[in-house]
Amino acid sequence: MNTTSTKNTKGTKGTKGTKGTKGTKGTKTDRRRVGNSPQAVPAIVLCVLGVLGVLGVLGVLCVVGVPSAPQSMSAAGPIFIESAAAAGLTFTHVNGATGNYYLPEVMGAGVALFDYDNDGDLDVFVVQGGALSANAVGGPETSRLYRNDLTTTGGRRTLKFTDVTERAHAGVRAYGMGVAVGDYDNDGYLDLFITSFGGVTLLHNNGDGTFTDVTTKSGLSDPQWSSSAAFIDYDRDGFLDLFVANYVDFTLAGNKSCNDSVGARDYCGPRAFRPVPSRLFRNAGNGTFTDVSERAGITKAYGAGLGVALGDYNGDGWPDLYVANDATPNNLWINHRDGTFVDEGLLSGSAVNAAGNPEGSMGIASGDFDLDGDEDLFVTNIAGETFVLYVNDGRGNFEDARTRAGLATPTAAFTGFGTDWIDYDNDGWPDLFVANGGVNIVESQRGQPTPFRMTNQLFHNVADKTGRRFEETSAAAGPAFARAEISRGAAFGDIDNDGDIDIVVSNNGGPVRLLLNQAGGTNHWLQVRLDQRPGNRFGIGALISIERAGQPTLRRRVRTDGSYLSASDVRVHFGLGSSAAIGAVVVQWPDGALERWTGITADKAVMLRRGSGVMSPR
Amino acid sequence: MAQAPLPFDSYPSGAREAISRAYADAAAKPTDAASVGTLARTLHAWEQWNSAHDAYARAQALAPATFDWFYLDAVVLRRLARHAETASRLEQALRISPGYLPARVMLAESLLESGDLERSAQRFDALDREPSAEPAAEFGLGRIAAARGRHDEAVTHFNRAVMLFPEYGAAYYALALSYRALGRIDEARTALEKHAQFGPRWPAIADPVLATVTSLRDDDPTNLQRGLKLAEAGDLAGAIAAHEAALARDPSIAQAHANLISLYGRMQNWAKAEEHYRAVVALGVNLGDAHYDYGVLLGLQEKWDLAADAYRQAIAVNSQHARARNNLGQILERQRQFDAAAAEYRQAAANQPSFRLARFNLGRMLIALGKTDEAIQELEKLQEPRDAEAPRYLFALATAYVRAGRKDEGIKWATDAKALALEHGQQDLAAAIERELARLR
Repeated sequence: MNTTSTKNTKGTKGTKGTKGTKGTKGTKTDRRRVGNSPQAVPAIVLCVLGVLGVLGVLGVLCVVGVPSAPQSMSAAGPIFIESAAAAGLTFTHVNGATGNYYLPEVMGAGVALFDYDNDGDLDVFVVQGGALSANAVGGPETSRLYRNDLTTTGGRRTLKFTDVTERAHAGVRAYGMGVAVGDYDNDGYLDLFITSFGGVTLLHNNGDGTFTDVTTKSGLSDPQWSSSAAFIDYDRDGFLDLFVANYVDFTLAGNKSCNDSVGARDYCGPRAFRPVPSRLFRNAGNGTFTDVSERAGITKAYGAGLGVALGDYNGDGWPDLYVANDATPNNLWINHRDGTFVDEGLLSGSAVNAAGNPEGSMGIASGDFDLDGDEDLFVTNIAGETFVLYVNDGRGNFEDARTRAGLATPTAAFTGFGTDWIDYDNDGWPDLFVANGGVNIVESQRGQPTPFRMTNQLFHNVADKTGRRFEETSAAAGPAFARAEISRGAAFGDIDNDGDIDIVVSNNGGPVRLLLNQAGGTNHWLQVRLDQRPGNRFGIGALISIERAGQPTLRRRVRTDGSYLSASDVRVHFGLGSSAAIGAVVVQWPDGALERWTGITADKAVMLRRGSGVMSPR
Repeated sequence: MAQAPLPFDSYPSGAREAISRAYADAAAKPTDAASVGTLARTLHAWEQWNSAHDAYARAQALAPATFDWFYLDAVVLRRLARHAETASRLEQALRISPGYLPARVMLAESLLESGDLERSAQRFDALDREPSAEPAAEFGLGRIAAARGRHDEAVTHFNRAVMLFPEYGAAYYALALSYRALGRIDEARTALEKHAQFGPRWPAIADPVLATVTSLRDDDPTNLQRGLKLAEAGDLAGAIAAHEAALARDPSIAQAHANLISLYGRMQNWAKAEEHYRAVVALGVNLGDAHYDYGVLLGLQEKWDLAADAYRQAIAVNSQHARARNNLGQILERQRQFDAAAAEYRQAAANQPSFRLARFNLGRMLIALGKTDEAIQELEKLQEPRDAEAPRYLFALATAYVRAGRKDEGIKWATDAKALALEHGQQDLAAAIERELARLR
């Protein structure tokens, strides 16, 4: 018989351990507000407070630097221009907050960029929250689908979105969290998988502008609080399987009372609850899925899952998974090629920080930022922790390089969520965008409505004597980066088809934002979409390399996952810098086959159909 | 430089009283470093980091020869992860009091965190000669060596750190990564096990200056925290007194009531435990664990039906409450409702796959129900890790095989179980297994 649950044991104060007499055991403290909980957490909930650069409240020298930093812009103007309302994206997220401090209210929701009607431009799907009460979860609001009606007349692009939710039957009524995109039935149309606080939904794209809810028919079921999800062909059989990260065992009836550092009621942190295991569903190839979580081994280790990304982290040609777990060690699920995964997070050095402590870990950017041929990881954390860059040695071992890369200090004051590697200026080097927003009251906003607001950040990938580092360019990015909101999800893709990467950002309890890139125009680029038959039609998991004479090879993986609760364009965008010369484009297909194309020219979108290039022996 | 206004109206009364008193005093005496410093300490104690930093900066300007303002500002800046500024402030502090050990350690660490390995190494080298700082120094030197790719050297330092402070979780983690870098994977995994065992523990160094900050808070959450530490140290009476004192001031602190359920339970004061359980229920928060804890207490009193009701209430609040399901399963098992018990164990294991006891109980129930193949399937999942719990799990697996008519496999697993039991010093279990083996052979 289990005895009484352990209450509030190990220290979790934000300061470093308990300073006592000589030789006293100290406890490295957890910066995360942890709430009053019977678990190994104290009665005090210690608020991790970020700094917000709000002028005049305290005269504080703000770490954020905006808006107190001057809004300098490049001679060409802002890097991004916010255009949601102008383009017809008029969605506002509803978090259902009513003063009960239910944890889902602070999590936000995701957004997807995908071409649902295969007309060559990216449409937007935004996940909606809703009411949270004992009587109803979810309200009259639903998730929304906006069709991109991009037109080009005389060289001038006009971006316009139309809400087609009802006619497309894409309105999901639930307390939605995340969205994943993939063509699970290989009919050539991208489908949608939506997670929520209790339950999941699979929307099949019928190919005629409509969707059908096939959740029950598919056998997909996950009653727990699901967050991010990823389509991944883990067994390389040509059918996309589904990994679903789950969060904690919070229930409305089981809500807990937590306080911040001054004793005011506040949201509990994840440690006030118990993490629940993620799920892996294998696609049977007939429209149904089977829960293989236990068989695959992914229930042997789990945390409070929030972000998930696929990548081949040990370079063996098989897709692995990285899961960002909130305030618990992250998982690096290495594919053992026999239907099972083994968690190598701790041993790989990508699970916790250098002191061995787990961090916030919400959003993930997975990709080769230093062009050395392997996939690195950038993970967003909460204010006071700094965001971490885990640099891969090519064998799935990671080094925490946040300080060396210049990412520690500028992120110290922020709580980050959606993120990705994007080459915003097409110079060939992946840059970083981060959507920020507090989960604890921001000290300088105490007493104000929605005191969780933060600005988003943009970082430029530059060379230095030891390799690569990042310089913050938020100040030059435009007024959109001076606006402090509670940002959460972020999806990336070329929305206006002008050859550079744009961003859609979701805000918790606020409007969706559309950041149109103005900076990529002077450099060359290439956009690649893959097509293979009969299975995994969009080639999710494939690795595309661009070989260039005298320059590093560019490598990017075909994916829609990563970030936070969001799904990005399945097309892969490459910035090529000042030279338009492309030696060859090489695709390593998900099954390991290699194919090569030459004669591809820059500054266009191409579709590479399997078999149309030159196949190499494996 | 005046202190910026503070949002007093948004602070709860405890914080508001303390902060506004200090603020008023500092506002009345803006050139008095002690008053301004007290304000800074107060803000620091209440974790208003940026405001505290502002106030410390003012105190530094007013009293540039006072160590405390520079040192405590560094503590705040470190909390904000502003490591380069932390280092700068500590250097200023140590010019005033060069011998203050916590500051010297923090400076070495901040230099490391801000990437200045050379100066950090110099600082850690000097600290290596201070007995109370030596573990931290060895850890720091190890991290620097690892950052430079000198993992053999790093391993030496980390091993010394854990030798000096055997519960140094962070050092075990760093040791694991260096072993991994050297290809010594088995040793890396062993070090990771130690890290998992000790978690965030690290060798604290007496810090009387920082204590002047922590002693400023006398609010209820702080006192609850102190109470919990008393409980950890075995002083249940002290812990209860601290909690009751907090509730005397504010009866609505749900966490205090919730903690007292188990604290009184441990004293076997059932009436008081129940009183606080009823209080939590009346407050309507923290219900899941309150019902669960109450169920445990009822079970300790052998009031099984009432305990089952309490567990059911916990499950009604949170259907994923694995421990409540497991304990309910045990009551159902006691009542010989084996199918129902198995269902609860199964759900507990599904909700929390890392909860091995639930799966073990499921396996036992399946054996009792004659579902030996299924029992084998479940119990096989408990083979790893080979910790102190594993011997009885393996013994159960052996039993399942034997009951399934697969005697040889049963003997193999029982032999494994016995060896593992002996490894873990479980003589009685080993003897019991040996008796079974003798019977089987």
